[in-house]
Amino acid sequence: MTKAEPIMPGNVSAIHSAGSVHKTDDATRRLRQRYAFEARFKMLGLLAIAIAVAALAALLWTVVGNAVGALRQSYVRLPVFLPAADIDPQATNDPQVIRSAEFSGIMKSALRSAVPYVKGRSDKRKLYALLSDGAALDVRAQAMANPAVIGQTKDYELLLSDDADLWLKGYMGAISELPHSGSATPSGNKGRVKITAGANAFAAILQRVKDGLKSQAADLRKQAAAQQNGVTAYQTLLAGSPPPAADILQRYQALIAGFKSRRDGFIEQAQALEQSAKSSSGSMPISSSLPSFFVRINGGVIKAQAVSSGTLEGEVIFPLSGTDTAENSQWQLLTINRSELARRISDKQAIWLEKLKAEGRVSSIFNWRFLTDSNSREAELAGVWGAAVGSFWTMLVTFTLAFPIGTMAAIYLEEFAPKNRWTDFIEVNVNNLAAVPSIVFGLLGLAVFIGLFGVPRSTALAGGIVLALMTMPTIMIAGRAAIRAVPPSIREAALGVGASKVQTVTHHVLPLAMPGILTGSIIGMAQALGETAPLLMIGMFAFIREVPIGVLEPATALPVQIYQWSDFPERMFNMKTAAAILVLLTFLVVMNGIAIILRKRFERRW
Amino acid sequence: MFWSNALVIVVLAGAAFILSRQRAIAVVEGNLGNLHSRPGYHGLYAALWTFLVGTLVLIVLAGLLSIWTDRVMFDALPEDSQKLEHIQQVQLIEDAKALAQNEIVSTANNARTAEIRAELAKVYRSWKSVQAWLVPIGSIGMALAALSFALGQVRPRFRARNQSEWVIQGLLLASAGLAILTTLGIVLSLIGETMKFFSHVPIYKFLFGTHWSPLSGVFEGKINPDSVGAIPLFTGTLLITLIAMLVAVPVGLMAAIYLSDYASATTRAWAKPLLELLAGIPTVVYGFFAVVTLAPLIRGAGESLGLSVASESALAAGMVMGIMIIPFISSLSDDVINAVPQSLRDGSYGLGATKAETLTRVVLPAALPGIVSAVLLGMSRAIGETMIVVMAAGQGANLTWNPLAAVTTVTVQIVALISGDTEADTAAGPAFALGFTLFCITLIFNVIALRIVQKYRQKYD
Amino acid sequence: MPTTVQQSKPTAAENAVPASDAPISIATSDAAFKDASKPASQTQDATAIKMRGRNVNVYYGEKQAIFNVNLDIPANAVLSLIGPSGCGKSTFLRCLNRMNDVIDICRVEGDITLDGHDIYDPALDVVELRARVGMVFQKPNPFPKSIFENVAYGPRIHGLTSSKDELQELVESSLRKAGLFEEIKDRLNEPGTGLSGGQQQRLCIARAIATKPDVILMDEPCSSLDPIATAHVEELIDELRANYTIIIVTHSMQQAARVSQRTAFFHMGVLVEEGDTAQIFTKPQDQRTQDYITGRFG
Repeated sequence: MTKAEPIMPGNVSAIHSAGSVHKTDDATRRLRQRYAFEARFKMLGLLAIAIAVAALAALLWTVVGNAVGALRQSYVRLPVFLPAADIDPQATNDPQVIRSAEFSGIMKSALRSAVPYVKGRSDKRKLYALLSDGAALDVRAQAMANPAVIGQTKDYELLLSDDADLWLKGYMGAISELPHSGSATPSGNKGRVKITAGANAFAAILQRVKDGLKSQAADLRKQAAAQQNGVTAYQTLLAGSPPPAADILQRYQALIAGFKSRRDGFIEQAQALEQSAKSSSGSMPISSSLPSFFVRINGGVIKAQAVSSGTLEGEVIFPLSGTDTAENSQWQLLTINRSELARRISDKQAIWLEKLKAEGRVSSIFNWRFLTDSNSREAELAGVWGAAVGSFWTMLVTFTLAFPIGTMAAIYLEEFAPKNRWTDFIEVNVNNLAAVPSIVFGLLGLAVFIGLFGVPRSTALAGGIVLALMTMPTIMIAGRAAIRAVPPSIREAALGVGASKVQTVTHHVLPLAMPGILTGSIIGMAQALGETAPLLMIGMFAFIREVPIGVLEPATALPVQIYQWSDFPERMFNMKTAAAILVLLTFLVVMNGIAIILRKRFERRW
Repeated sequence: MFWSNALVIVVLAGAAFILSRQRAIAVVEGNLGNLHSRPGYHGLYAALWTFLVGTLVLIVLAGLLSIWTDRVMFDALPEDSQKLEHIQQVQLIEDAKALAQNEIVSTANNARTAEIRAELAKVYRSWKSVQAWLVPIGSIGMALAALSFALGQVRPRFRARNQSEWVIQGLLLASAGLAILTTLGIVLSLIGETMKFFSHVPIYKFLFGTHWSPLSGVFEGKINPDSVGAIPLFTGTLLITLIAMLVAVPVGLMAAIYLSDYASATTRAWAKPLLELLAGIPTVVYGFFAVVTLAPLIRGAGESLGLSVASESALAAGMVMGIMIIPFISSLSDDVINAVPQSLRDGSYGLGATKAETLTRVVLPAALPGIVSAVLLGMSRAIGETMIVVMAAGQGANLTWNPLAAVTTVTVQIVALISGDTEADTAAGPAFALGFTLFCITLIFNVIALRIVQKYRQKYD
Repeated sequence: MPTTVQQSKPTAAENAVPASDAPISIATSDAAFKDASKPASQTQDATAIKMRGRNVNVYYGEKQAIFNVNLDIPANAVLSLIGPSGCGKSTFLRCLNRMNDVIDICRVEGDITLDGHDIYDPALDVVELRARVGMVFQKPNPFPKSIFENVAYGPRIHGLTSSKDELQELVESSLRKAGLFEEIKDRLNEPGTGLSGGQQQRLCIARAIATKPDVILMDEPCSSLDPIATAHVEELIDELRANYTIIIVTHSMQQAARVSQRTAFFHMGVLVEEGDTAQIFTKPQDQRTQDYITGRFG
C-alpha cells in the first residue's frame, strides 16, 4: 500500500488533507498542550496517592519509632541482703507478713554498698532515685514466693528508674572521649582537686567551652534580631499615612520601647559572652548550661568546673586511687554532649550508671512488664494489661448487645416488615444514626444510662452499652446487605415445600447470610475497639490500677489508656503510648484479618 | 439478688419447655401426625411465655419498687433538709443507702447529718426487705402462672408453632424499633438538659456570644450567661474543618480518579488496601501522630520562616484530620465516578477527547452532586471528630482565623466540661447544649447531602 | 421477505453509484484530495476511497470476532453494514475510529487507513483521528449539559474556534446541518437530556459534525427511535453525505436500502459480500446474502 507521506515518529499530525482543519500548526500546538494537560492530570492523581501513602508511612514511622524505646528495660544486678529482723521477725514465712514489710530501705542499703563513696544527703538521694519503686516490689514478691531467701544475700535484678533507663539507652545524650595530650597530675584524690598537665592538654575542652559560649551568644543575637523585627514593623506602621490616632500612637511607641529594651538586653548579654569566649588566659569557668566535661584518671572521675589550656579544676565524683602522675595513655578526657540542665540525669548519676555498666551489672531485658502489669504513675512500671482486660469486658458487652439486636432488627426489616412509612422512617433513622458523632452517643449514655438507669459510671457495662448503641446501625446495615444478597429463589424453594416464613428465615436465609453478617459485625467491633470519645463521656478516664473482674467494676479501655498516657510529660510515657498503640493496632489487624478471611472463605457468588 | 431471680426464671422457662413438649407427645399418645405443630414448638411456646412474663414482671417490679423507695426516702427528709440544694439531698440519700448496706461512707459533716442519715437508712432497710420478698414472689409467681397457662394450651390442634412464631416476630419488631428508640433517646436526653440550660442562659447569648469561659463566674452553681458565648468554638471548629477539607478533598478525589481510571490492576491491588488501612486507624492514634510529629514539624518550619506558630496550631490538627478523612472522600468519590455510565465516556472519547478532558469536562461535572454530597459528609465527620482535636488543638477559646494559632472546638469543650473538675450539674448544662448543637448541625449536613444526591441525580437514560 | 428496494424512497437508489462487481480500484493519493463540498450528484468523485481496511482481524482476548476483512469505503457516500446480530459489524465500525482501544482485551490486526494513512500508526494521534472520524451511538448519549454546551464541547477541546462569536456560529451551523436548529433555537441553554429521543440523536449528530470531521460513523442510530424520528434522521443522513463520508450499521434492511449507496454484508465476523446497494438487494452473489435478505435467518 502506498502512502502519501512517510509517517515519522514524533510527527504527531501526519495526516494531510486539504480542507481538513485538524492539521495546522495551531492544531499541532494545541494537541501538544492537551497531552501535556493529560500528563499533568495523571501526575496529580499519582501525587495524591503518594501523599496518602506517605502520610500512612509517617504515621507508622512515628508509632514504631517511639515504641522502640519501650521494647526493653534496664536492670542492675546487685547483691541484696534481706534482714530477717526487718521483714519477718517471727519467722512466720507468711506472705501477708512479708508483704507488709518495708523493702525500700533494703534497696537503699544495697545501693549504698554498690556505690560506697557517695556521701552527703543530696547525693544519696540522687543515688536512690536511680532505682525504680518496682525494684522493691519485685524483691518483695520473690521473698513472698520463696521465704527461704530471707536472711540471705543474693544477687537480684533490680529495675532502674525511667530516667536511668533512658540515659542508658542514649536518649539523654552520650558520653564520648575527647583528645588529650601529655601526662597529668592530680592534686588530691577527693573533694575539689586541680589537675596539672602540659600545655594544651585540655585544649579540646577549652575549645568546646569557647564554642559553647559563642553559640549561646549567637542565640542571644538571634533573639535580639527578632526584637528588632518588632521595632521596624511598628516603626513602619507609625510612619504610614494617614498617621495613626493619638492613643494608638502611644501604644505603638510603648511597644517599640519594649522591643528596644529587650533587644539591647540580649545584645549586652551576647557581648559579655563573646568577650569571655575571646579571653585566652586564665581559667574559664564551665557553667552548667554548657556540655559537661570530665577527667578519668587513676581510677577516679573528676567533673571539670574550670579549665585553662594546661590546668583543670573540678570536683571528684568518685575517688582516685592516688595522686600519682598518669601517663598519656592512662588518663582520658570525657564529655557528655548535652548540658546538665537539659537532662533529667545529673552528671553524678550518669557517672555512677556508667561505672555500674562497666562492672557488667547492667542488662537490658525485654519489657514483659508492659504486657502483664496495669497502669501506674511511674513510667517504668506502667503496663497495658488492665486496659486490655477492660477493653475485653467492654467488647463483650458490646457484642452481646449489638449483635443479636442488630441482626434481629436487620432480619425484621428485610424479611418481615411491610413496605410502609414506618419502615422507611426506621431506615432513615438507621442511616442517620450511623453518621452521628460518637461523642453524642457518650452524652446519651451519660444522661440516660448513668443518670436515669443508674448504671455505674466508669464500668465496662456502661461503656459496652454506649458502644453497642453506636455499633448497632453498622451491624444492621451490613446485616441487611447480607440478607438481601441471598437470592429469592432459595426463599421460594423453602416456602414451596411448606416452610413458614420464620422457618424459611431461620433454617435457610440466616445460615447463608451469616458469614456476611459476621464479617460486618467484626468490622463494626473493630471500629468500636478504637473509640475513645464516648468512653471519656461515661467516665472511663479515671486512673484505674486494679484489673477489673466482670463488667461492674471500674475499668478503662486501651484507647483511653493511650489518651491518658499521651498527656503525661515523661519521655518514657511517650514511648509507652506508642507501644500501647502498637498493641491496639495488632488487635485491630487481627480482627480485620479474621473478617477478611471469613469473607473470602464463605463468600458465595450467586 | 436480681440476677439470681432472673436465673430462676430462666430455669423455669427451661422446665416449661420440657414439660410442655412431653405433654404434647402424651396428649396424642405418640401419634405425632395428629399434632398440628411439632412437640418442640409446644415447648418453645411455653418457654417463651414463661420467660417473657417472668422477666417483664421482674423488671417492672424491681424498677417500680426502686423508684418508690427513692420517693419515700425523699419524703422522709426532715423539714430542715427540705431546704437544701437538690444535689445535697441526693448525696444524703446515697450516703444513707450505703450506710444501710454496710458500705464505706464518708464521715458526716456534723451530728445532725449523721442523725438524718441514720433515719433514712432505717427507712431504706425496711423497704429493701419488702423488696426482698415482693419481687421474687411476684415475678416467679407470674412465671409459674404463665407456665401453667401455656401447659393448659397443649392440644392436638393447638397452633403452637404459629403462636411462637408470632412472638418471635414481635421480638424482631422490637429490635428494629430499638433504632427509633435510640434516636428518640438521644434527642430527648439532649433536649432535656439543653432546655434546662437555656432556661437560665438565653439562647441568643449562647449562639452569638463571643466570650467562652464557662467555668469563670460560676456563682452558686449557676453559670454566668455572658461567659458561655459559643462563637469562638464555632469558628474554631470551622477553621479546623476547612483546613481538613483542603487536605482531604483534593487528595481523596484525585486518588479516586487515578485509581478508577488510570491505575493498573497491580497498583489498584495495593493502593486500595492501603487506603482502607488509613481508614481503620483509630483517631486517638492520629492525635498522637499530630502531637508527636506533625505539630513540632509545622512549628519548626514556621519558625524557620520567622512566623510564630503555636504548638497546638489549628494547622496541625486540621492537617491530621484531613489525612484521616482522605479514605472517606476517596471511597465515596469512587462510587459516584463509577456510577457515571460508560456511554457518556464513550461519547466523549468518540469526539476525540483525551482521558483527562473526558474526566474533567464530562465525568466530574456529571458526578458533581455525588461529590458535593461526599464533601458535606466529610465535613460532618470532621465537625464531629473528637480525639484528634482534644489531643492536638487548644483548650482556650480563641476567636481567630489564623491557622497558626491555637483554637478550640465544640467537641474539645464538651470533653473538657464533662471530664473536668466541675460539678456534674453545672457542667452538664453547657456540655449538653453543645452536644445538641453538634447533633443538629451534623444532622443538617447529612440531610442536605442526601437531598442533593436525590434532587440532582442525573437521569442518564 | 420480498426485497423492497423498488418500493422504497427513490432518491437514494437514483443517486446510487453505478454497479460494479469488483471493489473500486485503489485511488491515487491525489484523488484523495477531493473537495468535500461538491454535491454527490457529480459522480466523478464517487471513485475516491476515503477509508480502507485490509486483512483486518479483531480478537476479544482469545476469541476472534472479525476474520480477515477487506473493505473500501467510498468518499461522500453512505455505506451500510448489515448482517444478523453478533456478526461483528459494530466491532468493525469501532475499529475505524479506534474506539476499540477503550476496551482492554480487544486486539486489532491488519491495516486500516484514512486517506491513505494508517490509523494505527503510533505516530498518529488517536485524539485527532477521532476528531476526523466522528461517531454517533446506538442510544443517544447527550452530555448532562445544555444543548449549546453539548455541541460546543468538541470545538472547545480541539480549539477549532478562536472567539465566542465563531463558536456561536459553529454551533448554530452544526445544529442547522443536523436539522435541529429551528426546533430548539430558543432553548439552547436547556439541558440536552430534556429533548425527545429523536431530537437527542440529532443533537448527537450535530455534536459529531461540530468537530468538522470527514467521516461519520453511525452505530444503529435509529434503533431506539420511533418511526417519525427515524424518518427525520434518515433524511438527514441523505443530506449529510454531500459533505461527509458516512458508514452506518443497521439492523433494518429497508433502512439500508433507503439510505445507502453501497452495502456490505457481514456474517459471523466475515465480510461475505459488498457492493452497490441495489445490486446486493436484487442480485446477491453469495448464497448467505440471499438467505439473509430473504429472511431465512436474522
